[in-house]
Amino acid sequence: MTEPLGEPRPDAALGLAGVPHTGEAFTEDGHLIEPQAGDFRHARAAQPDPAWYQTAVFYEVLVRAFNDSNNDGTGDLRGLADKLDYLDWLGIDCLWLPPFYASPLRDGGYDISDFRAVLPEFGDVDDFVYLLDQAHRRGIRVITDLVLNHTSDAHPWFQESRNHPGGPYGGYYVWADHDTGYPKARIIFVDTESSNWTYDPVRGQFYWHRFFSHQPDLNYENPDVQEAMLDVLRFWLDLGIDGFRLDAVPYLFEAEGTNCENLPRTHEFLKRCRKVVDDEYPGRVLLAEANQWPADVVEYFGDPGSGGDECHMAFHFPLMPRIFMAVRRESRFPISEILAQTPQIPSHCQWGIFLRNHDELTLEMVTDEERDYMYAEYAKDPRMKANIGIRRRLAPLLDNDRNQQELFTALLLSLPGSPVLYYGDEIGMGDNIWLGDRDGVRTPMQWTPDRNAGFSRCDPGRLYLPVIMDPVYGFQALNVEAHSNNGSSLLHWTRRMLQVRREHAAFGLGDFTELGSSNPSVLAYLRRWVDPSTGDEDLVVCVNNLSRFPQPVELDLSDQTGRIPVELTGGVGFPPIGELPYLLTLPGHGFYWFQITNQGEEGEVR
Amino acid sequence: MREIQPEELVADLHEALRRWLPEQRWFGQKGRGVDEIRTVRAATVIDGEPALVHALVEVSGGDVYQLMIGVREHLSDVLGHAAIGRSGELYAYDAPHDPELMGRLLDLVVAGEDRAGLLFRTEPDAEVEPGMRARPVGVEQSNTSVIYGQDYILKLYRRASVGNSRDLELHRALRAAGSVHIANPLGAVHGSLTGRSVVLAFLQRFLSDGVEGWATATASVRDLLAEGDLHADEVGGDFAGEAARLGTAVAEVHADLASVLGSEQVGVEQIAAEVDAMHARLDAVLAEVPELREHAEVLRMAFDEVRSIEEPVVVQQVHGDLHLGQVMRSTMGWVLIDFEGEPAASPQQRLLPRSPLRDVAGMLRSFDYAAFHLLAGAEEDRQLLTRATEWSDRNRSAFCEGYAKVAGDPRDQYRLLRAFELDKAVYEVAYEHHNRPDWLPIPLVAIRRESFRVA
Repeated sequence: MTEPLGEPRPDAALGLAGVPHTGEAFTEDGHLIEPQAGDFRHARAAQPDPAWYQTAVFYEVLVRAFNDSNNDGTGDLRGLADKLDYLDWLGIDCLWLPPFYASPLRDGGYDISDFRAVLPEFGDVDDFVYLLDQAHRRGIRVITDLVLNHTSDAHPWFQESRNHPGGPYGGYYVWADHDTGYPKARIIFVDTESSNWTYDPVRGQFYWHRFFSHQPDLNYENPDVQEAMLDVLRFWLDLGIDGFRLDAVPYLFEAEGTNCENLPRTHEFLKRCRKVVDDEYPGRVLLAEANQWPADVVEYFGDPGSGGDECHMAFHFPLMPRIFMAVRRESRFPISEILAQTPQIPSHCQWGIFLRNHDELTLEMVTDEERDYMYAEYAKDPRMKANIGIRRRLAPLLDNDRNQQELFTALLLSLPGSPVLYYGDEIGMGDNIWLGDRDGVRTPMQWTPDRNAGFSRCDPGRLYLPVIMDPVYGFQALNVEAHSNNGSSLLHWTRRMLQVRREHAAFGLGDFTELGSSNPSVLAYLRRWVDPSTGDEDLVVCVNNLSRFPQPVELDLSDQTGRIPVELTGGVGFPPIGELPYLLTLPGHGFYWFQITNQGEEGEVR
Repeated sequence: MREIQPEELVADLHEALRRWLPEQRWFGQKGRGVDEIRTVRAATVIDGEPALVHALVEVSGGDVYQLMIGVREHLSDVLGHAAIGRSGELYAYDAPHDPELMGRLLDLVVAGEDRAGLLFRTEPDAEVEPGMRARPVGVEQSNTSVIYGQDYILKLYRRASVGNSRDLELHRALRAAGSVHIANPLGAVHGSLTGRSVVLAFLQRFLSDGVEGWATATASVRDLLAEGDLHADEVGGDFAGEAARLGTAVAEVHADLASVLGSEQVGVEQIAAEVDAMHARLDAVLAEVPELREHAEVLRMAFDEVRSIEEPVVVQQVHGDLHLGQVMRSTMGWVLIDFEGEPAASPQQRLLPRSPLRDVAGMLRSFDYAAFHLLAGAEEDRQLLTRATEWSDRNRSAFCEGYAKVAGDPRDQYRLLRAFELDKAVYEVAYEHHNRPDWLPIPLVAIRRESFRVA
């Protein structure tokens, strides 16, 4: 069966003619021929470091938004590669790229129509390998999103499945004669979908989808699907990618009588994915996207006894809105509470924490009690309510207040977890609320005061989104070049903080202990790490004033009596810690990072 | 090695104590000197260097104070500020400042020792580690506290009274009910006074992450007053969520106390007696504070309205002195502390069951204080006064709404609640008149506001 199908080929419609893609031909037994990693060059390997993700600073960048190399108005992989020197200078350890696969783009690229081809406007697989190679040359790693749960309905697998129920792909999706199965599974996009089942007139059956009806769920009960998806992982890992953020992981399996989320078999499959990584690609990571309460998310780290045997990392979703709430309330308790409720994670795992990214906090997944709490705190406050759906960038959310931007960044870099920065926030970029929904925070990166903010040489009308031009955040004044030339800019400040963070393993690896104090507006904590090879202790104290007013705080550091706090950004020694509570005063929204040191000879601190 | 004669030592210190006692924050008869001191008892708890002597002394007027006296041959600079006086070659000082002696005191509790007529005991289900590092905490109104590590706090009662036992008993009752709104009781030091058993010190779980409710509330008020053009429900520092959770916590504590210790309905005569007492307290304050006179008539009307309450009035054990300084916000939620009862009441009165609305009224008054205290003594600013009033109204309502999640809405019993609040405000008028004249307008404005509603 090698004759072309009777209908237009979806892949051709997606602009993949001329580049390798899935379904250019069929094998004799009716399987689609898919591109293989051996068809491409491979990137050089990153420096081996099995625990790199525990200390790394991540940077989320949209390929579309960063830099346009061919002047067609849309950012691309080559353009991103051209800016790696900037990211290297800034001190980023790993890029996180949202999906860049072939896609009809009906869900921001999360509707993947070919796992083994790049969206043509971003370039091709060779361009990705080039980016990866150039990144690794600079010691920067790259991870990307991979949607395991579903594909686009334009994916050749789905087209085969609907057209040839008896063929090799007939069982790749969840088909049924009735739309009555799994009634306990909630509908996630209630605004657009009325059921998790949609009727397909071609096949004459219903198919299952947890998200949009154009995103049919893969059938993980089918061993061929499991193998096919593991091969997708291998394809990119062979090219040299450093890991995946696994999108929508709780939904892989279905079972009657359950809500079809977080089922044991879903965890079994993640363990299989992990075993592939551990056995064949050590040093690469899996990051779970499970928008749930920390106590539930820890399931995705797997068995604590083995240090974790599912995902290496998972996002800590509730922390972000709590940080905003705490500063707004001038009270540490929103943060203290959520950290107190965050369980220990296996030793080889790490949280991913962020201030902004394109994900939103949804209140569906939390406990009733927590939902009440969040509603009580947010819903009464129109400004906070707007923050539940993350529709704005950091700087406008903080009224462009430099002190608060610094405080928030300092919290992000010092709380437990690997921080994820969002492109442009390092220069305090603004947003464009008139672009609606999510596009407002996806405008072109502002590089220079030149045409199109230096993002592209194209006709300005051809840009995928207009650059920010308002008087406060407009690119003429707010851009990387201007920030680079100003030593006191937010960009230089951010770079310095990343340097400081890199010098102290305690930030990434250390224990977290909150230091209570009688001042509710001050959040103080210890980060402590002992290097197992040398026995050296790295003890960092972080003190944050969440209030706009200056505040005093007395910290109980009596365990450290006689030692000297040295401020980390300037190296200034503070008065030694005595028997009495340690008194500090902080300016409004101020913070300190100290290393607790032993005094050396002749008053030298070491 | 010398042997300490405790009776002689304390006798030697009488003269020094006459000067030292009135300087202490916890000394009750402010502004009055101490003419005479009588040693009720004195005994050596720990002998050697340093030594610890426990003493109860009665001052003129009849109040009995508890002293923990450290005794050393040499007094280091660190302890110099705690010096009381000398007895022969020996230095005597306030022992709570001495980490060494306080550490050994904890060890006595852990070991369950009997020493010098004092019984050191842990609670039956408590696990307490000995050998913890001790440190004294800041100044307190009526006690002196010592913190051990990050784990325990020992409250040394300075006034030896049966009210202290109430603190322990109510904590035990709440512990038995499984309350999450207390600092768990861990142990106590028991003694006797005029033949009756008294609790002299109380060991509890230390809320190392706790912050006084007053500090959290006033942080919110400060935020509001700095805003100026925003309303209390619009500013970032809005406290209503916390106020509601606090209301729920107080209601849960009331429910637990009632379930363990019981509750009862009071009769008409008791209500009448309570109203008479309110009038009597008003009479006393009117005689002292002329500013209150214009409100006398309305106050009496509000009190008398209680006589005509038809719905049953229920009494039970309550906190007794509830305000924002008696609650702590910890990471796990709100905690009520210090169940010693109403300071102005006699020890016997403290033990009587009271209406839980007394606690509610105390907290509502405290919200009013939190709202207005930053404006006290400043030139009147209508804008700020309006904002502060909004804050007070908003958080008082939120507290009641939170309370109503567990029990009846306190505002449904408005006549009783209003009388309790006004009774409390009258007490505040007298207190501010004597101690902080700048703050006198806080209760007076509240009384004026309420009187419009009564009239």
